[in-house]
Amino acid sequence: MVLSLNDLIAMLIFPGFFFLILMAFFLEWLDRKVVAKVQDRYGPLMAGPAGILQPIADFIKLLSKEDIVPRGANKVLLTAGPILMVALPLTALLFVPIDGQSAIVDFEGSLIAVLFILILTTQLVLLIGWASANVFAAEGSMRSALQMLSYEIPLALTAICPALMAGSLSLSEIYRAQAELGWPFLAYLPPLGAISFLVFLTCSLAELERVPFDAPEAETEIVAGWMTELTGRRLALVKLGRNLDFLLMASLMASLYLGDPITPSLPLLAPAAFILKTLACAGIMSFARGLVARFRIDQALHLFWTYIIPISVGVLVATKLALLLA
Amino acid sequence: MGLLRWARAASPWILHFNTGACNACDIEVVAALTPRFDVERFGALKVGSPRHADILVVTGPVTRESEPRLRRLYEQMPEPKLVMAVGTCAISGGVFAGCYNVRGGVINVLGKADMMVPGCPPRPEAILEGLIKLVERLRGIKKR
Repeated sequence: MVLSLNDLIAMLIFPGFFFLILMAFFLEWLDRKVVAKVQDRYGPLMAGPAGILQPIADFIKLLSKEDIVPRGANKVLLTAGPILMVALPLTALLFVPIDGQSAIVDFEGSLIAVLFILILTTQLVLLIGWASANVFAAEGSMRSALQMLSYEIPLALTAICPALMAGSLSLSEIYRAQAELGWPFLAYLPPLGAISFLVFLTCSLAELERVPFDAPEAETEIVAGWMTELTGRRLALVKLGRNLDFLLMASLMASLYLGDPITPSLPLLAPAAFILKTLACAGIMSFARGLVARFRIDQALHLFWTYIIPISVGVLVATKLALLLA
Repeated sequence: MGLLRWARAASPWILHFNTGACNACDIEVVAALTPRFDVERFGALKVGSPRHADILVVTGPVTRESEPRLRRLYEQMPEPKLVMAVGTCAISGGVFAGCYNVRGGVINVLGKADMMVPGCPPRPEAILEGLIKLVERLRGIKKR
């Protein structure tokens, strides 16, 4: 394969790494602003216009802080973990049609690859927590692993619903199928698409370890969870990785459920529309952070195993039946 | 390094530690974080782990019981780090100075306090002003 200049620009600038990282910083700013508004505060205000440079200031500051590896910690894992933490979601984001038409890397089965990368990210959390040689970090990573056992099943099952509706396992193909159909899958086969979306949203919150499923990094109970021993550069990379994860889940939601018939054929509007949809999904998740309290880890497990998993199985079966009948 | 100084001054993450305060200063510190005063405007976040913090905010007289913990918390923080004593007790021991169980203020234990905010308790505005003055000084800190 010969790389053309266009491919290189797509990979490195738009919609590639440079754009994705900027978007990740922007999403963190948006997240903090939305939560602040919900709590009747201003949120970041002083770094740049309306505080928009705040995540970048945090990142640069953390890069310059002292680097501490605790005695007894596994230095190799603590170094490799944060780097992979950024690399994995960046890789997964290449499979998502950020420009509203087609992903940079598009193949049949990219949805499965993304789901696999999501599991790897959680395994990485487990590794970092374990390598930190700290009780709080170990406890946080154990909770993270426990939580993974509960949300990963409904996440995969509901992600298959749009794939069934589109008849394809490629994310770009699923997004295009909604354009051809004329309906976003959110409103397709009502109410199955909507239920599937809600389950996917809940599982995304758990995957991102965001409120109400932030028991793995509950700062009121276990210091900072699995991130407790990370300093300086490691923490900066992990935070960036979490923001990229956030971007990944929001853009997954946009591509799986929020396609529309008009924009994908227009050259400039397509990326703009897709990014707006991604921001809307991220906004919903940020709003949830301001609204609800935290589940204990056993409550989260109970919620998923008693309600969410049966619902996701039901939606999957019902979608298949509805498609057969239609 | 203008960029680095700007970044450090724009994101002072604080770790709050109560060394034996009567809770009055703690309430005021928490008030500085919440809607009416909102210290996040200046980029400050309250973090749980000393490994993530830039500024150690101490309230209360340092008791013999909390002295080793204060020392350890301070040592666990990554450089560059600053200490802020909030309230009269944290500055000098206040009315508890000289008690059999009190070692005095932060400065008696850590040997330094980069910013002192007097008051019993200091108002949130005072804490905010202390933080901002500290941040302004942070712009000048050189990497060791």
